[in-house]
Amino acid sequence: MAIKPEDILKAIAAARGNAICVPTMTTSPAWRTLAPDDLSIGCVGFMGGASSLGLGLALSVPDRRVVVFDGDGSLLMQLGSLATIAGAAPRNLTHLLFKNGVYHTSGSQDIPGGLTVDFVQMAKGAGYRKAYAVSDFEDFKRRLPSMLTDEGPLFVELHTGLADKTPMTDRGGQPFHQQVESLRQKLHKAG
Amino acid sequence: MPESIPAPLIIDTLKDTFREARGGSTREPLGWILSVPDTHQKTVLAALDKERALRVVTCATEDEANAIGAGLWIGGEPVVLMIQHAGLYASVNTLRGVAMDGRVPMFYMIGLLQRERDRDPKESRHSMVRFAEPLLDTFSVPHARLEGPNDVHLIPEYYRLSRERRGPTAVLVGLETS
Repeated sequence: MAIKPEDILKAIAAARGNAICVPTMTTSPAWRTLAPDDLSIGCVGFMGGASSLGLGLALSVPDRRVVVFDGDGSLLMQLGSLATIAGAAPRNLTHLLFKNGVYHTSGSQDIPGGLTVDFVQMAKGAGYRKAYAVSDFEDFKRRLPSMLTDEGPLFVELHTGLADKTPMTDRGGQPFHQQVESLRQKLHKAG
Repeated sequence: MPESIPAPLIIDTLKDTFREARGGSTREPLGWILSVPDTHQKTVLAALDKERALRVVTCATEDEANAIGAGLWIGGEPVVLMIQHAGLYASVNTLRGVAMDGRVPMFYMIGLLQRERDRDPKESRHSMVRFAEPLLDTFSVPHARLEGPNDVHLIPEYYRLSRERRGPTAVLVGLETS
């Protein structure tokens, strides 16, 4: 049975410590509620860019873990980022893929290839240090501590159902430029 | 007439630009070059391969370079994007979404591959040369031409301008670097 994305996000919120999180698309509304005003920045207005935004953060703040909450439709838009991330080899980057097989916000059309697309093989082929899939919530909870500490770049394909809310049904949150400024100031203060 | 700019001059200028951005600090890497390899600037890319003070991340697309650049800037790191005009065309949505809407300072060095020595770029026979400046104008991105060695001062000037205006700025590399 597919994991509820909100359950995954709740578990991450409880375990992340001082990690920077980069949600995108359907993880954004739930993450806003779970982790308001924290070290997060949503990929808003440039679908597909979450993994690259996370890479830049990971390279600039190497003493912190950066966790990207990517979507399968989103990742397909900038699939080359897998190779770019592997090439840059940030040890502190965890790339979580919330795989539901559809473009949820536009009415749940299948992504090209649907659920048969194997992103784990793609990440391995690109050169990620480790890549695996998780399809059971108990397994996810068991592995979560290592997802936040294992040497990266680490890729985890999470087999999820649809989120309760999407950015279309639950609009809101700060505009991107405010998130940029807020995170920059928090990181600057943290030294 | 435009002249080719030697790679060492560009590299030294980039180093000075990054040192200034770091308030005079000489800690390495001085700064980051996000490159989608541009044939027009290949001598600079070759020199960067041997350069230890600057860190180069080769990106698969210009879209990635924009988003990586935002992450680096948020984390306090100085960044320059080296791309080609074709890459500018390919990535305008990300330029808009990241550098403009996100108010992220982003400085681009854009190679005008196939720019003719004896013709103004706006009158080029090649559409990819001809439309670069009008496209930047459409997005209100301040830009300047690097037409020879005497123009390298525009690199730190437009880098600073991107910081001051919290958005994108660009210099257009007129002839292939030497």
